[in-house]
Amino acid sequence: MNVTLWGTRGSLATPGAETARYGGNTSCVGVIGRDGTVLVLDAGTGIRGLGKTIAPTVRRVDILLTHLHMDHIQGLGFFAPLFRADLEVHIWGPVSSHISLRERLMRYLSPPLFPVSLRELPCMITLHEVPCGEVAIGEFRVSSALVCHPGPTVGYRVADARGAVLTYLPDHEPALGSTEFPSLPLAWTSGGGLAAGADLLIHDSQYSAAEYLSHVGWGHSSFKDALAFATLSGAKHLVPFHHDPSHTDIDIDRLMKDAMAEITPACRVTTALEGATFQI
Amino acid sequence: MNDAKSIQIILARQLASCIATPVLLVDAQNSLIYYNEPAEAIFNQRFDETGEMPASEWTSRFTAVDDDRNPIPPADRPMGRVLAECAPVSRTMWMRVSGGDWRHLNVTAFPLVGEKGQLFGAMSIFWAI
Repeated sequence: MNVTLWGTRGSLATPGAETARYGGNTSCVGVIGRDGTVLVLDAGTGIRGLGKTIAPTVRRVDILLTHLHMDHIQGLGFFAPLFRADLEVHIWGPVSSHISLRERLMRYLSPPLFPVSLRELPCMITLHEVPCGEVAIGEFRVSSALVCHPGPTVGYRVADARGAVLTYLPDHEPALGSTEFPSLPLAWTSGGGLAAGADLLIHDSQYSAAEYLSHVGWGHSSFKDALAFATLSGAKHLVPFHHDPSHTDIDIDRLMKDAMAEITPACRVTTALEGATFQI
Repeated sequence: MNDAKSIQIILARQLASCIATPVLLVDAQNSLIYYNEPAEAIFNQRFDETGEMPASEWTSRFTAVDDDRNPIPPADRPMGRVLAECAPVSRTMWMRVSGGDWRHLNVTAFPLVGEKGQLFGAMSIFWAI
């Protein structure tokens, strides 16, 4: 599969010269299968650029939302393919106890927050609530599980027919409640089942270790904890992702260097850079 | 990875490990999957030593009687009832492990129910009377 990072920033889009290298768009990852299956992981502002690359011949797109915080859905209304009447769009998102996925999405995709409502979009939309076991989407097998982050939030594990695995955990705080992370086996760690042995693990790394101490419970990880989680899960390649909006490119370089000095990961590490592409 | 625990169970364990009240955590099959350090005093054994235990094993380690000293079978204890009824259960009882002292306790168990009503297990807290 071909994996492209269209938005790597967390919380808030952060354009400008100081963030130009790692990127200012919020979470969005495009996954293209060998047979042309198109998956879109989250609909942050990065999805606008991805939308421009969807060929008119594509008949189906699946958008997999981890949760409905604004930085993960804000680009949805600017995803040009939604305005194609001949396109089948499947939106997958986390279940809630009381309000349907449609109703929660419509809170954003309706006036006054957005001029076009969900039901007015020309494409053929089908909504799916997750987690719902393993599902087949084109050539991919996709599984999801609730993970540690405020509000209903899932992570995704995408496997192709050849067994290559991508795990996507952009907003994830597996260290919550641990005095020293990781202190428990993988089975007892949030997101462990999704990340086990992944070929490519895209994981939250919003904070420095010092910043994390004043943000415990906010649902995000430090670079150091992301490295530790990758090692615990046996991932082969970690992509630290969801950069804090206050971090400049220079800050991110420094945070990564500091974390690597403290913990030696057992896998390859490539900090998420907007526009980067991975083949797995 | 088939043995991965659900986030509801993981967070329940993390909560239990951070509080001073004795807590037992069972899965939906009533296997004991965790008890915290304060509960180790009631169990008279450390969790690291016993690990997870099926229902038949862990329930047989306790003797439980009511205030009139009538035996309470495992199915009628809060942890047995909470899974069968999928509702909170609270009662007082006397308990002891083999060779230990009788303890007069209030035991409160509540189910861990996720979205779509899925039962993940139950938590039980023990309060000395």
